[in-house]
Amino acid sequence: MILISLTTIFEKYPDRRYIMFGGKGGLGKTTFSAATAYYLAKKGKRVLVFSVDPQASLSDIFKKDIFGKGPTEIMPNLYAQEIDADRRIKEYQQEIRQKILDMYGMDAIPEEIESYIQAAAAEPAMEESAIFDEVVDIVVKGGYDYYIYDLVPLGHALYYLSMASVYDEWIDKITNLRQQMREYDQVAAVIRRDKELDEDAILNELLYIKERINKSSSILTDKKKTAFFFVITAEQMIITDTLKAAELFAKFDVPLSGYVVNRVLPESLNQQDIPEYLRNRLVMQEKYMKVIDETFKDQILAYVPEMDRDVTGLEMIEKLANKMFGDI
Amino acid sequence: MGDEEKKKGGFFRAVKEFVYGVAAHDSARFALKSRANMEHLFILITMGDMLGVPILPPYYSLRLLPYVVPQISTWKRRMLREKDLTDALA
Repeated sequence: MILISLTTIFEKYPDRRYIMFGGKGGLGKTTFSAATAYYLAKKGKRVLVFSVDPQASLSDIFKKDIFGKGPTEIMPNLYAQEIDADRRIKEYQQEIRQKILDMYGMDAIPEEIESYIQAAAAEPAMEESAIFDEVVDIVVKGGYDYYIYDLVPLGHALYYLSMASVYDEWIDKITNLRQQMREYDQVAAVIRRDKELDEDAILNELLYIKERINKSSSILTDKKKTAFFFVITAEQMIITDTLKAAELFAKFDVPLSGYVVNRVLPESLNQQDIPEYLRNRLVMQEKYMKVIDETFKDQILAYVPEMDRDVTGLEMIEKLANKMFGDI
Repeated sequence: MGDEEKKKGGFFRAVKEFVYGVAAHDSARFALKSRANMEHLFILITMGDMLGVPILPPYYSLRLLPYVVPQISTWKRRMLREKDLTDALA
C-alpha cells in the first residue's frame, strides 16, 4: 500500500536539496544514503554524499577508500566524502598555535596555553564539533545539486541538532556581554578623550562563530530545502524508539518527510517450505507491519526488501536503489 | 614657536590634566575597572574548562584563545584566590 512514493517526494519537491536519513544504528542509513545518491546521480543531478559520523562507512559501501580525501568521484555525478575529524582538529590546533605566536611574537607557546590546547582537543565533543564545522564548509562551498548527509545514529543526531541550538543561545549571551564590555571601553575612551578604539577582535570572532552555527542549523531546520527520512524495521523496539525520536526531532523543527521501512522479508516465502525459524520471523513481521501501517500511515514512503547479501559495491547499490525508487 | 608659547602650552596641558584628574579620572577608572571585571567573567565563561568548569564547546573556544593569552595567568590567579566567586563580579 504505497500511497506516496519516495520518487514522488523528490519529483514534487525539487528544492529539497539536503537529504538526510536518520534512524537507530545498523538499520541502513548509510545504504539508503548511497542508494539515494545513486538514484539522483543517474537522473543527472550532481550529488555529494558525505558522512558526519566519525565512524563512517561510506568507504565500505562504495568499496573505495575515500577517508579524508575530500569529495571523491564514485561514478559520473556521484561524489562521496568522509571527513577526517582527527586531521581537521590537528590542523586547527596548529592554526591556533601559529596565531598566538604571530600575535605576540613568541618563540614558543606558553606551557599553560599549550596544555589547554591539547586538553581541548581531547574533549569528547571535539570530533563532533569539528565535523559540524566542516559540514558548514562543504555546504557553503556549494557546487552540487544535492547534499546527502549520511547521519550518525539517532542519539548522536539529536546531540548534533541540540548542539546547534545550544551553541546559538550561548553565543548570543556572550556576544551581548562582549558588547557591554565594549560600551565600557567607549565610556572610558570618551572620558579620557582617546581618539579611537581598537576594533574588538574577539567580538568579530564571536560574530563569525555565530554565523557558522546559524548556517548549519538553518539548513537542518529548513522546511523548503531539507528532507529528513526515518529508517525503520518491523520490530517493536525500533518502532517505539523511532516514535520518541520523531517527537524530539519535531521539537527541533526538523522537517520530517516520511518513513522508509527496511529489511522486509518477502511474503511469498510463506508459500514455500521454510524452516520454523523463518516462519516465526514472518509472523512477527506481519504483526509489526500492521503496527507500522497504523502508526505512520501515509507517511510511509517505501518498503525495501531484505537483500540476499550485504549492500556494498555499485552493483548492489543499484539493485537497492531500484527497490527504493522503482526501476530507474 | 617661542619659549613663551611653549610655556603656555605646558601650562594649559597641566591645567587640563589637573581638571581631568579631579573631575574625570575616577569615572574613567571605574569604567575600566568594570571593564576588567567583565573581562574576567568573559574569560571564565569562554575558557572555564581551564579551571575544570566546562562551559562551552571547546572547538570554538579555541578560536578565542589567542586573544586572551595575556590575561590567562592573572585571570587564573584571580579566580583561584580563596574568595567567594561572586566577589569577582561585584
